[in-house]
Parts: sequence; structure tokens; C-alpha cells
Amino acid sequence: MVEVMNWQLNRMMAYPYEEARPIRQAAAVFDTNKCIGCQTCTMACKTCWTSGHGQEYMLWNNVETKPWGSYPLAWDVRELELLGPQHWNGDTYGGKTIFEAAPQGKKNIGWQPTGLDYAYPNRGEDEVNVTLTVKRYHLKLPHDMWFFYLPRICNHCTYPACLQACTRQSIYKRQEDGIVLIDQERCRGYRICMEACPYKKIFYNHTTRVSEKCVMCFPAVEDGIQPRCMRNCIGKIRSFGFVGTPQTARPDNPIDFLVHVRKVALPLYPQFGLEPNVYYIPPVHVESDEFLTMLFGPGARAAINTYQNAMEGNDPELLGALLLAVSTDKIISRFKVESDSVIGWADNGDEVVRIPLKVPIIERSAFDENLKVYRYNIT
Amino acid sequence: MERSETGTITRRQLLAGGLTGTAVIVVASCGPDANNAIPKGEIFVARVKKVPRLDPSTRDWEYGPQATIEMGSQEMALPTKKVPTVTQLTVRAVHDGTSIGIRIEWDDAETNDLTVRVDDFRDACAVLLAAGAGDASVRAMGTPASPATLLHWKADWERDVQLGVQGISDVYPNLSVDTYPPLIVDNPTEITPMDYVKAGATDWLPGLAVGNPLSAPTRPTSVEKLVAIGFGTSTSCKTQDAIGAGQRTKKGWRVAIVKPMTASDESETVLHAGGTATCAFAVWSGKDKDNGGHKSPSVNTFRMRLEA
Ligand code: SF4
Ligand code: SF4
Repeated sequence: MVEVMNWQLNRMMAYPYEEARPIRQAAAVFDTNKCIGCQTCTMACKTCWTSGHGQEYMLWNNVETKPWGSYPLAWDVRELELLGPQHWNGDTYGGKTIFEAAPQGKKNIGWQPTGLDYAYPNRGEDEVNVTLTVKRYHLKLPHDMWFFYLPRICNHCTYPACLQACTRQSIYKRQEDGIVLIDQERCRGYRICMEACPYKKIFYNHTTRVSEKCVMCFPAVEDGIQPRCMRNCIGKIRSFGFVGTPQTARPDNPIDFLVHVRKVALPLYPQFGLEPNVYYIPPVHVESDEFLTMLFGPGARAAINTYQNAMEGNDPELLGALLLAVSTDKIISRFKVESDSVIGWADNGDEVVRIPLKVPIIERSAFDENLKVYRYNIT
Repeated sequence: MERSETGTITRRQLLAGGLTGTAVIVVASCGPDANNAIPKGEIFVARVKKVPRLDPSTRDWEYGPQATIEMGSQEMALPTKKVPTVTQLTVRAVHDGTSIGIRIEWDDAETNDLTVRVDDFRDACAVLLAAGAGDASVRAMGTPASPATLLHWKADWERDVQLGVQGISDVYPNLSVDTYPPLIVDNPTEITPMDYVKAGATDWLPGLAVGNPLSAPTRPTSVEKLVAIGFGTSTSCKTQDAIGAGQRTKKGWRVAIVKPMTASDESETVLHAGGTATCAFAVWSGKDKDNGGHKSPSVNTFRMRLEA
């Protein structure tokens, strides 16, 4: 084990390999407040990558309802239980990562799922956090009771647990974009990676008898096109691009802006220690700070406040960055808010999108004088 | 004379006339001097007329003297396996100047010959062969200076050979599938990997598309030949000329592995009649979720002496 810097924990941590960051790191921001749980992303991925024999149970992208949902069954609860107490001293993680908590003879903590653990991919769907009672509930923020959707893909971690666990070096992280892939020729189906990945985003193919995982649609990414689950998101919750570290962040890169400048997008279970690269805007309607901190780390409440401030019209730049989500198929590497619009540019400098910050609203009267009818839909 | 389930007829019994006249003649003509005891730490490979091939239970194996191999923990590489599941193997080996045959037996009450479900792990065994005369340095899957040849028998491959390549319907018989996009057929649950090959649609089976031996659509034998130069380096050989067969006994597995003594791949170990080599053994237990380095290896490496 060597010491590497994990900025999400604000400290050095133990990892079997030296810190070796890619030239740039593919990353995404998911706004949980906008996800409608439609599973279009799940199907976009399923039809593209996992519709073959042996992949029947596989969902490289899944959307689960929190707090009760999980796929595979109780993936996070089991991992958290193995990890033991976790605490933050301000912004610095004071507990152990999955590497630091490894028992003797192992490189990490982890658990091996069974076939049944994948049998209920949408368990807990739309279930609220508490048992409903006869008392009246009022619409207010945060809500009296709540649930939210958590869309999940592989996090293409900076310190992948899957990669370090593989005894055959069959898993590699691409230098050009940080995408983590399994060499299908070298993999022997040992599934040590599956046990190691705390997010359980390694899948075993029943037919080819080797492991598979999300490939972040790398052929598209190489062409400057966003991955399928991102492009097809109905709720427009997903932004895709490249993320830097706090030291290298560029404020005009939309992902860096959301993650490092405004800090509205946070990693999922940062305490695992993998420096995951899918970042989440926490749900504004969840009252439990403990729950949010457990999922997204100590910045959750501040992120919600920053987000709400933008929604109230006080932060046009943040609003602009958020509006870029699913506005184009192209990967946006630079953005700017100019007068009342946000503009996005691709790597090659082409303007790929221009969106007004406020959609013009036309109000029409309920009664149509020409047709002499009432409109039911007057928006 | 009845042969016990674990095949414990010793060379001494053989020489004492316990077997048929023919056998005694064979042994007497090609066996070692009866007074020469097999030194500890040695696997003696008796020369026979013809190495038995796909029958692990034929009495022809008994021309090779039985060696008992002590199995231990694997603590050289992470993740370790501190307590071996299998503590002992019995091994017999024969050669005919062209091929070498090794028979391995061990106790294992549970058959694990499926690798379909996420939590299915196979029973398996392997022989490591390398140059030298029992060099301990090659025990960790060979070294760059002394590559190891691995002959790896897999229980799931054995099942594939005997019953056809296993698939999802072996473990989920009530499986229902609407369609697999590349192959539109009336009964998609009956599709096999071979159908993807015929349809030119192997892109849907990535492991198969890139030629991973684990994903092969057909299974000619249950033994895979690999070479390695250290932990994590084992690589399947281009020429797959080792064959084998495994059988369940009342107590566990009995496996025969046969390969040519010549080398057909780079870094492969060559064996000579009258020469020596280094060998070691390992067993994987599916019920303990063994795989890769999570195994019960032999405590020692052995000098393998091939009868001239
Ligand atoms: S989420 Fe899991 S599978 Fe993906 S890179 Fe991280 S450890 Fe590997
Ligand atoms: S497509 Fe978008 S809105 Fe629909 S479930 Fe997926 S992430 Fe949520």
C-alpha cells in the first residue's frame, strides 16, 4: 500500500497503486431533484450494451428509490456495515476507507452477491422513508416524508476497488479519459472485482463466464459524444464531461464548475475512498442531514442551499451550468453565461448549444374567442 | 483384486503380484528397480506402453507409484487462503515417451461444476510443470527465468464436455425471455452461444467475440494449458493439446490429465524420458468460492523423475 491523495476525503489514504491520474477524467453530474425515475437511462444502456445472452439480469445503469431501494439487494447497507463507524471532522474524513479497513490477507473489505441479490432490481420503488399515518401531510420543504431516485452507473473511480483487486491486472483505467474497463480477453471470471467494488457495478456474464461493467460508451466519448444514458435522460438530470481536481479545476468547465466551484454536486459514499466520478446534486426535500451526509459527505446541506439559491434566481451562472444538462449530444467542455443565455462549446471550439436562461412564457386566456371554446390546457 | 475407491494399490503390491500377469510383466519390464524406494519429494513417472487417456479409473494408472501430496495455505499473494480446504492429494503419473499422464484424486464431498450464477464457483485442480528438479522458486506460478506450464482441469468444463456447454437454463429452468435482439427465433430460451457464432453476432457475447477460452461455444476437453511467469500472469496457450477427464468418486474427484512431452507453445516445459522436471499441484474448491490465487496449493514443489 502507498499513500495517495483523495481530495474528496481531504486527506491522504492507503491504496495499492501510486496516484496516477489520467490526462483527463470522464465524469458526470446527476441532479437527483430532477430525476423522475422513468428508467429511460436504464433502457438506453440495456438495449445498447446488455441485451445479449448471459446479461439478462445486468443493469449497468439502474435507478433505485432511496432510502429503501437497492440493486443488488442492500448493496450499500451491507458495505456500510462492513466498513464500521464513519465520521467526518469538518471536511476531512476521520473513518477508514474500504482499503484501510481491509482485514489481514485481503486488499479491501467487500462482499460477494448471490444470484438472488439481483432478482429485485426495483425493490423499494417509490416507498417513502416513514410509515404513513392518518395525520395530514402538507406540502413544504423539506417534506414530512420523502423518497428520491438515485440513478447509478459505474463511477469510473480515480482509485477503483475493482482494478486493484484483480489479481490478473485484467482491469485498466484509460490514460486518455479515466474510463475503467475490463479486458474481456484476460478476465477469468474470478469475481474478486465484484466483491471489491462497493458500488456493485461489476457484473458476471452467465454465458461468457467472465465479468463485465459499464464502459461509459467509450466509442461515443472518443468522438466527442455523450454516453447513451446521458443523452437519453428524459428528466434532463445528467451532465457529462471531464472533471479536474480542486487544484486543476477550470471554472469555465461545466463539470468543474458544479463540482469544484459551486460545490453543488457531490460524490456518492465518498467515505468508501474510491474518489468516484459521478457527482450528485442532493435532493432538496430530504430533511435528514444525517442521511444526506452518509450518502454524499459533509457538503450536502451547503450544496442544497447553493442549489436553491440558484433556483430562486440569484445565481444565473449556476442556473446556466445546470441548464446545459442533456441540451446536446455533444460533450461540452466550456461554457459561459452571456446576457440571458448560456452557451456551450465542444472541445474543438464549436458552439454546440445556446439556451435562454428563462423560457419565454405566453399566457393565453382560458376562453378562445375565435373558436368559442374554453381551453383546458392553457399553458 | 478389488481396487479401492481412492486407488491405493501401491507399486509394492503390484510387484508382489497383486495384479494380473500382464501387468506384472509390464511393470517388471519398464518399472524401476523394486528395491529403489521413491525418495520423498519426488514424483516418479513410470514408463508404460501407452498413457491412458480419457479414463481416470482405468487400472493402467496404477503402473505409476502413488504419491501423497500435502496441501497447504496460500499466503504469498492477496487475497490469501489461510486454511486449505483440501489437505491431501494422491497422484500417479505415467509416460510413454510421447505423452505424460497425471492422475490426481482428492476428497471433496460437494460437486461444484457450474459457473453460471454469480455465486457459482468451480472445483478444479492443476499441475504446474517447470524445468529443473524440484526448484522451489517456481512454486509461485513460475518465474521469468523458469516459466511454468499449467495444466488446469475445471469441473465446469468437464460438465460442458459431458452434458453440453452449460447455460442459464441449467440453473434457471423456468427462465422466460421475449427475445435476444440479434437472434429472432420462436424459442429464445433454447439459443446457445453457437447460434451467435453461426449468425455472426458474437458482438453480443464479448468474451466469446475476443476469443476468451472461458467463453468458448464448444468444449473439446476439460483441461486448459497455460503458461505463467509469476502470480497473475497465467495466459492460455495458443495450442491446446492437453486433454483430460474427471470423474466423481464416492469421496471426491478423480482427474486424469494428459499432454505431449514436447512443447508446442513458447515458454512451455519440455519433458524427456529419463530426465527430471519440477512439478507442483493446486486444488480449488467451489464451495469455498475458490478462484485464481484463492486455492489450496501443494506445500512443496516436487522433483519429477521420468523413467528412461
Ligand atoms: S464503481 Fe466499481 S466498477 Fe466502477 S470503477 Fe469504481 S470500483 Fe470499479
Ligand atoms: S432517464 Fe433521467 S430522469 Fe429518467 S430515470 Fe434515468 S436519470 Fe432519471
